Amino acid sequence: MMLKRTFSFLAAATLALPLFSFSAPATAQELRVITHSSFSLPKPVLAQFEAQAGVKLSIIKAGDAGEMLNKLILTKAQPIADVVFGLDNALITRAQASGVIDPYSGAAQQRAVAGATLATGVVSVDYGFVTLNYDRAAFAKSGLALPKTLEELTLPRYRDLLVVQNPATSSPGQAFLLATVAGMGETDAFDWWARMRTNGVKVVKGWTEAYYTEFSRNGGSRPLVVSYATSPAAEVFYSKEKIMESPTGNLFLKGGVFRQVEGVALVKGGGQREAAAKFIEFMRSPATQEALQTTMWMFPAEPGVTRPEVMRHASEPASFDNPSPEAIAEKGADWVSRWTRVVLK
Amino acid sequence: MNVAGSNPFARGVAVVLLPAVFLTVMLLAPVIRLLAEGGVGALQGTVVSLWQDDYLRWRVVWSFVQAALTCMAALALGLPVAWVLARLDFPGRTLVLRLLMLPFVVPTLVAALGVLALWGPRGLITGWLGFQLQDTPWLLLYGNLFFNLCVVVRAGVDALGQVSASRVAVARTLGATPWRAFWRVEWPAIAPWLASALCLVFLYCFAGFGLALILGGQRFATVEVEIYSLVAHELKLAEAGALAVCMMVLTGGVALAYAWIEKRLATPARADAIALRPAAGVFLWTLIALALTVLLVFCAAPLLAVLLRVVLAGSEAWAVLIDEETVHALWNTLRFSASALVMATALGLTHALAARRSVWLRASAFLPFVVSPVTVAFGLLLLYPQWTASMALLIAAYALLAYPFVAKSLGAALDSLPVHLDQVARTLGATPWRAFWRVTLLMVMPALRRGMAFAAATALGEFAVSLFLSRPEWVTLTTLIYQRLGRPGAANLDAALVLACLLMVLALAAFLVIESPLPKAGRRSATHLRHA
Amino acid sequence: MLELKSIRKTFHDPAGGDWVLAGDLSLTVQAGETVAILGPSGSGKSTLLKIVAGLEPLDAGSVWFAEKDITPEPPERRGFALMFQDFALFPHLDVVDNVAFGLVEQRIKRGEARQRALDMLDLFGLTAHARQKVWKLSGGEQQRVALARALITQPRLLLLDEPFSALDAELRSGLRDEFSYRIKAAGIPALLVTHDEAEALAMAQRGYRLVSGKLITLW
Repeated sequence: MMLKRTFSFLAAATLALPLFSFSAPATAQELRVITHSSFSLPKPVLAQFEAQAGVKLSIIKAGDAGEMLNKLILTKAQPIADVVFGLDNALITRAQASGVIDPYSGAAQQRAVAGATLATGVVSVDYGFVTLNYDRAAFAKSGLALPKTLEELTLPRYRDLLVVQNPATSSPGQAFLLATVAGMGETDAFDWWARMRTNGVKVVKGWTEAYYTEFSRNGGSRPLVVSYATSPAAEVFYSKEKIMESPTGNLFLKGGVFRQVEGVALVKGGGQREAAAKFIEFMRSPATQEALQTTMWMFPAEPGVTRPEVMRHASEPASFDNPSPEAIAEKGADWVSRWTRVVLK
Repeated sequence: MNVAGSNPFARGVAVVLLPAVFLTVMLLAPVIRLLAEGGVGALQGTVVSLWQDDYLRWRVVWSFVQAALTCMAALALGLPVAWVLARLDFPGRTLVLRLLMLPFVVPTLVAALGVLALWGPRGLITGWLGFQLQDTPWLLLYGNLFFNLCVVVRAGVDALGQVSASRVAVARTLGATPWRAFWRVEWPAIAPWLASALCLVFLYCFAGFGLALILGGQRFATVEVEIYSLVAHELKLAEAGALAVCMMVLTGGVALAYAWIEKRLATPARADAIALRPAAGVFLWTLIALALTVLLVFCAAPLLAVLLRVVLAGSEAWAVLIDEETVHALWNTLRFSASALVMATALGLTHALAARRSVWLRASAFLPFVVSPVTVAFGLLLLYPQWTASMALLIAAYALLAYPFVAKSLGAALDSLPVHLDQVARTLGATPWRAFWRVTLLMVMPALRRGMAFAAATALGEFAVSLFLSRPEWVTLTTLIYQRLGRPGAANLDAALVLACLLMVLALAAFLVIESPLPKAGRRSATHLRHA
Repeated sequence: MLELKSIRKTFHDPAGGDWVLAGDLSLTVQAGETVAILGPSGSGKSTLLKIVAGLEPLDAGSVWFAEKDITPEPPERRGFALMFQDFALFPHLDVVDNVAFGLVEQRIKRGEARQRALDMLDLFGLTAHARQKVWKLSGGEQQRVALARALITQPRLLLLDEPFSALDAELRSGLRDEFSYRIKAAGIPALLVTHDEAEALAMAQRGYRLVSGKLITLW
């Protein structure tokens, strides 16, 4: 008898639970922001925005930028956020074509931008460069000269030295692939990739794995990695002892540099339009633009923003190779498939 | 004779309706939607082009190969271990037998972490070895064996336990040496049981997702991971649909084989089992030591590695337990699992009752083994987009994956229940419902408890569905572990391991419920559970 | 001829208490004769048979056959055929392969073994069932197949453990006579263990009762 009573009570209680936690759209004072996993701003800066705008921020980290966009597309019917940060020039055309963003025409949109504009209705927030990084200590020890062109990387003496990310699952990986295609032309680029495969290029899933597990600076076996132009500055910033020179350096090679511009946009079908507009403005405010340099390690899009001292270790390349946004939208997926067949199969 | 208040026909229909509708809505409809996604006409084209695509073909072939390799290894290692456990008596034998169930309740993610803690890039053993195992298939195969070795050992022990002692004795007196007697008399008797277990092992490995995602690396991941990648990263739904259909056809074939073998195994427990031989002498003790070593290396080592890393971890790693995010995730895990458990129990109960009448329903208990979680989640995503991020769908998906354990466990128990007990209750004045509630249910309670414990363990460790269907604010312990795993640095890995321990503790609670001593009356019905 | 010399065997029951199955037990079975051992179920008669067959170790004493100590020999070399009350036919083999089992162990080629088995089945009048699965036969037929399987190997001794307990009373007397006839025709000594006095009287020339580990002569 006791058994049955307790059983029915438990059943009723647990059945009732989900009802209370049924997910409703954001409460009146909540702004849902969807970003990629690398989004990071200092807590005081965010808190100040919350106080000024009178909303509570709910930051939803949705994985890699590509994953984030896919999630938006898949949940179009009932959007899971009000504003999206992290769509970059490689993804923006697809985002617009899929109809997941609404154009924004506020003040931030009108201002000039250092770096590049994304598309109408999307406000650029920061820009950066995907490029090769090298481990100074490893190269000094081996006595190898740094390669001067991508072509040299296919030579036997540079065997088993490079680690890249899979463009299907990683934004910087895709950016690097796009740079090689733009810099060498499609046929030559894939020919290069095939030769790199024989020369022992290592492929991993994402940037974290490549940088923190495979890069020789962090205990791995590869002294060359696809990363960002600001990574050497980050090394200095996070180093435990005070150091004058970064242990890693940028290697700008023709066909190996991609300029990435990130932006913030309104999600179509999202709510809280007023607060969302305020957020967009906030992302271009001087305080945010200054702060994001040492938390997200990108260069500010707002002209005239002061650069922190440590950013002098992050050199900017003289040139870069980006395919046009239309080309990316049209052929991007094909290039990735072809890459998979050439390198991974 | 008027049995007050119950129309047996109506009751029968109601019992069949619930699981049938649930399966249709949650399983069949998404699968059909998946087919539609490929476009049936285009499907043929896509399937053909799929086959011509070297990369995808390699993935399918490799999925098959790794499952087959695991089967062979599990048999080669598991049968001798089973023989030792079934034939020799040594102190601690019953403990080992009960611990064999442990890998069943370990969540996939925890096991994957354990394998990484041992053999991963910064693993305990990798340090001694001196070379990397990351890009080899070894990690995945080892992870597969962790789960599936015990399935084979358990099945082997059960099988060897029902070999008739008199037959072996006769064979010996007819001139067969012990080895010949094993080969000619015992082996044919246990072969169907092992075949059934191997079908299950094959299904688990072939359609596996969690392990392959984390341990497979770039080259050695399975088709399920590819489907996930195609949907989440590349949004190539047509190709994902075609792959999913291929997978279903293949797993369907194996599941049919499994069901067919299972049917032929429905013999009652034997009375004259072969008695245990007390271990004596160097030879037998060496065998025991070898068997225990195999179990230690493959089944215990990953868990011990996790424990070791956790114990050695710094306080920042332990601090993750009081982190706000963790508490939130823990709360989510508990309430999702609890709701899913209730739903799974109701479904399992009605399914088991209905399956007694309908052959179709009985066969459909295998469906969740055939359709992988990734495919289900994917189909649900496509079919009910406006419900994509709704709690009801999430819980229903959890329940879908968990309830077959309840259904199978109950089904086996109901099968072995003597029918006259219910009949006596009826003649004593009980309505069909009362007879069920007061007699049948109590008799199958141990089996129900066991099935529920497995369902709970499944819900706790659920991973694939959450990746697809969950809203980011419904983070569970498993998704939290996965996130931590993706972040750099030893501190994050240690934090992930601590969380994994927490999950293990929850799963252990489920394990203790399964394996706690059964009352004598219940033991008989419980022995019919083989792999459920 | 079989000689049991001072067999001692004690059972250690984990539930508590040892009980003596055989305490200084001696027995002889001469060539061509059948000896019966009577006793209620659970008195250890079956274990005694298993000791003779070599399937069960003894605590003290020895087993001799034809003036040789065969105590250390494994069952497959003793040449003693064993028959059980549950017939113990191999379910995965059909009738003829069951009968041929022992011959295959004697390294006789399968084809010839099968032929000999068929001849044996013919003697028993079971040719019609040769290719059938064993569970399709009736209880009495199964036990006769078991006897055929035992006799075809030309054993030195036949050990029968309550062979007819699982069969109907009406069948028993007919089978009893048939078995006695065949065993005598083959000239093989036999040790029969049973709880049925009538059966023992009908089949055996000498009879004993096993009580508290000792054999009491009945006739």
